[in-house]
Amino acid sequence: MAETRPVDVHPPYLYPDYKSTRLRAPAQPLVRVAPSPLETAGPVFPKRFVGESEADLTTWGTSAPLGENPHPVDDHDAPLDPNFLGKGQVLTDDEGRYRVVTVKPGAYPWQNHPFGWRPAHIHFSLFGNAYAQRLITQMFFPGDPLLAIDPIFQSVPEAGRKLLIADLDLEQGIEGVALGYRWDLVVRGPRATPMGV
Amino acid sequence: MPKPTPSQTVGPFFARDLLWKDGGIVLFPGRGDRMTLTGCVFDGNGAPIYDALFETWQADPTGRFPSGHDGARPYGYGRVSTDTDGRYAIETVKPGSFTGPGGATYSPQISVAIFARGLLKALHTRVFLAPIDLIKDDPLARAIGDLERLRTLVATPDPDDPKIYRWDVRLRGAGEAVFIEF
Ligand SMILES: [Fe+2]
Repeated sequence: MAETRPVDVHPPYLYPDYKSTRLRAPAQPLVRVAPSPLETAGPVFPKRFVGESEADLTTWGTSAPLGENPHPVDDHDAPLDPNFLGKGQVLTDDEGRYRVVTVKPGAYPWQNHPFGWRPAHIHFSLFGNAYAQRLITQMFFPGDPLLAIDPIFQSVPEAGRKLLIADLDLEQGIEGVALGYRWDLVVRGPRATPMGV
Repeated sequence: MPKPTPSQTVGPFFARDLLWKDGGIVLFPGRGDRMTLTGCVFDGNGAPIYDALFETWQADPTGRFPSGHDGARPYGYGRVSTDTDGRYAIETVKPGSFTGPGGATYSPQISVAIFARGLLKALHTRVFLAPIDLIKDDPLARAIGDLERLRTLVATPDPDDPKIYRWDVRLRGAGEAVFIEF
């Protein structure tokens, strides 16, 4: 099937409300190139956990309920949850499914603006089958009032925002132990037209 | 067709969870001429970016793309964090030139993806490991056109050690590197 030009759901590089973009976003337009073997080939990961290697996916985030990243450069001094490593790495199965059992993260403060708090989120880092499919993103939780005022989430064009919010799906959880959420990720085709052109 | 999942920043807190042991040493099944690509990443004020995730992907010395792994991580892929000076270093083998669709010949080059706080999506580019006079027919060099801009993607061999290629990356402003979409 021919790949059609996708709707651009990605944020821009420069989004001044997220202050760190102001000195890091390129000022020149991107140069568009035809996909070469560099983009259509991709790194191949060992089959460490399940099934066939379709995608290697790493999650990391904050521990519940105090919102601490278990990482030495975090300057927020909430105590760490000693039972939480903060990281999971899985390979999707033959049908592209993944499953991560973790703790629900909390909101955490940041220095972007006065009284700034990030909404609860889990970071995802994904390799697909081709270099062009590499994606790093964040998953958010439904109904979080901080989403409406988070510059990082709001940087995403309106059409893309709901794609970053998981659905509550209790039967995906563990009976009596863990809430379940479902969140599907979609990566571009290796030869898709670039976004935003 | 479902919409692709939007990108979000890697943020500042990736080091513990994303970095690989010896991720700055790129693995290949065979042998080849060892080389090191190193330099610094700077922001629009010329200040070092000390919290970038710097990833590389490349062909092997014969111009083929590695499709295996060593049991722990993939061949051909490098991943490091910049340090307090904004410095990265990738030890690898020199990639060969390769042929693309339509028979186009690509000069020896390494794909680079930069993720960081303040980057809502990855910055992609490629760094050339051949002098500018020898890459003018490369498809990326042609797409860039302007020689001054192209120069931002050419690594320079160290005069004292030709196995060391130096390449600094400016994300914004004077000397801003060319970034690509594909
Ligand atoms: Fe975070």
